[in-house]
Amino acid sequence: MKRIDAIIRPQSQEQVKEHLAAVGVHGLTVTEVRGFGRQKGHTEVYRGTEYSVDFVAKVMLTVIVQDERVHDIVEAIMAGARTGKMGDGKIFVTPLDEVFRIRTGESGESAV
Amino acid sequence: MNKSLERHPLSRLLVSRQSAMLLAVSVMAALLSPCFAAYEQKPDPAGIATGDKTTAVDAGGNAFAVPEPTDKNAPDYTKNKKDFDDYQAQAAKEPLAVKLADSVGHIRIATNFAWTLNTGYLVLFMQAGFALLTCGLVRKKNAGHLMMLNFAAYVFAFLAYYAVGYAFQFGAVAVNAAPGNLGGVPTLNHFLIGSGQWGFLGGKGFFLTGPAYDAGSNCLMLFEVVFMETAGYIIVGSICERITFWGFLLCELFIGALLYPIFGCWVWGGGWLSQAGASMNLGHGYVDFAGSTVVHAIGGFAAMALAMILGPRLGKYGKDGKPRAFPAHNLVYVVIGTFILLFGWMGFNPGSTLGATDLRISVVAVNTNLAAVAGSATALFFWYCMFGKPDITMACNGMLAGLVAITAPCAFVSPTSAVTIGILAGLLVCGGVLFNERVTKIDDPCGAISVHGFCGWLGAVCVGIFADGTYGSGWNGIGAATYLGNAGQGVTGLLHGDTRQFFCQLAGATLCAIWAFGATYLVFSTVNKIKSMRVPPEVERDGLDIPEFGMSAYPEDAVVTAD
Repeated sequence: MKRIDAIIRPQSQEQVKEHLAAVGVHGLTVTEVRGFGRQKGHTEVYRGTEYSVDFVAKVMLTVIVQDERVHDIVEAIMAGARTGKMGDGKIFVTPLDEVFRIRTGESGESAV
Repeated sequence: MNKSLERHPLSRLLVSRQSAMLLAVSVMAALLSPCFAAYEQKPDPAGIATGDKTTAVDAGGNAFAVPEPTDKNAPDYTKNKKDFDDYQAQAAKEPLAVKLADSVGHIRIATNFAWTLNTGYLVLFMQAGFALLTCGLVRKKNAGHLMMLNFAAYVFAFLAYYAVGYAFQFGAVAVNAAPGNLGGVPTLNHFLIGSGQWGFLGGKGFFLTGPAYDAGSNCLMLFEVVFMETAGYIIVGSICERITFWGFLLCELFIGALLYPIFGCWVWGGGWLSQAGASMNLGHGYVDFAGSTVVHAIGGFAAMALAMILGPRLGKYGKDGKPRAFPAHNLVYVVIGTFILLFGWMGFNPGSTLGATDLRISVVAVNTNLAAVAGSATALFFWYCMFGKPDITMACNGMLAGLVAITAPCAFVSPTSAVTIGILAGLLVCGGVLFNERVTKIDDPCGAISVHGFCGWLGAVCVGIFADGTYGSGWNGIGAATYLGNAGQGVTGLLHGDTRQFFCQLAGATLCAIWAFGATYLVFSTVNKIKSMRVPPEVERDGLDIPEFGMSAYPEDAVVTAD
């Protein structure tokens, strides 16, 4: 099992959701996050004084999948989130030890 | 609205009691302006000459003082001369009474000034209601942009109206454009385009100079400019979340300088629609008491044209053409905004008598509230029956729909009719919102087209259906003595026996929709071809706050563009 965390633009999440649904993802978790990467923050002027917005708002989608589906899912996220401009985000894939479903007590891939 | 000419006791007095005949005289006088000079009044900036014994009237509007008849060839000359001589003899016997009457007349005008200005301030406060309502109904990322639009609308449209709008709308009835209730002596002598009963555009008082630099004129100006602002605000509800700031400013200047004043001149400035009763025998002419069409339908149909030019917001319609919901971001703002609007409407409608000495104001106020609650209840139940749960944003839209629809008929109908009108408006606004969302696919984030456009049209038509003849005798110079064979019969609708009034209302309201939609579409589709009035897609996706103004309404949530 793998855990896929995708940090994307907030306005891309609808499109990504549609692409994920198309490849058969039935559940995902969305977290509102903020941070910066190479794009860095942004400078604005408020009443004549410059201020910087160091952390940019993003959303993080978390999906748990079987190993063999990772490629499809990553492709789907990229298709939905890519604008080609700086700030499109990143995808992290990490191994996952165990999953439990609280209601039934199932574990392993059947609990995903 | 009580700005029509012969409606006012003073002008009725000056132009004599047989108003239909004398309207003809005044038209002749308009053509022969040297003869007309006798009716003109010098502007009175200080207000010390406004209101004297000629404005002291009894409850029925009959004046205390009798003017000297000037036209020796008029059929009533002998009778009028005798009335004048009797009055002169009486006045000579009781000089103190004449002095007292000067004082009473001044206080009457002062009372009306206080009423008109204070109700004008209430209407001004409606701008805060519009700002909250529209801001609450959009997505969080555009809230700051909405506030800027609402704020700038007041500022720029006001300047446009001051510069030319007021003159276009009321300049025809200069020298002193103020109606009789405000101590003015309106004439039909100063059209820029047209003349007499066929006036199309006023032509005096640009920049409030000359004849408009007058206490009565300025009182009217304050009251009217906030009405124009209302029309200016309405468009925000339909074009928000995607229009550029400069494009919006052009829209506001257009509404304040041209779109609103021109139709306003036709109906309230003595223009050809108001005189349709005299010129085409269509009842009392086109009657719109406080602006269902003059204010609301103008704004609503202009909004429709602009929303069509801009197109729907990104993602509003999916690839399959199905609409998507963009839920309101703050229901608290929506409800508070609606209540502020209801409160402001207590100035909008009752204030449109332009005088507290017109005691019909209580009926107007009650009718206005009744239509509001009836509209709201109808929309709430409609939504409950259609979708299983009542929707607070639609209940608010229903209240506004009732208010918009009662604005034209509020002075002419009974409370029962007001409830009926509110129910009709509540149904129409629900139908209109669903129709625009699903059929025409005109994206209207706040429902402004349905609330102000469709229900505004309905309101003016309702005058022609429900008006019961108890009020408005002598309106637009029609039927001052008798109407439909009854003394004191006022504006009358289809249900009470005046078919011609109904046709006049139907035609006038439809013309208003065509004018507002057509003129706006023509002008701004051209502007849009020269330079797009819509923000780039990436700006629209990120929210307009930061890209357009560099600050967000909720800075802790700032979503910043990547590039």
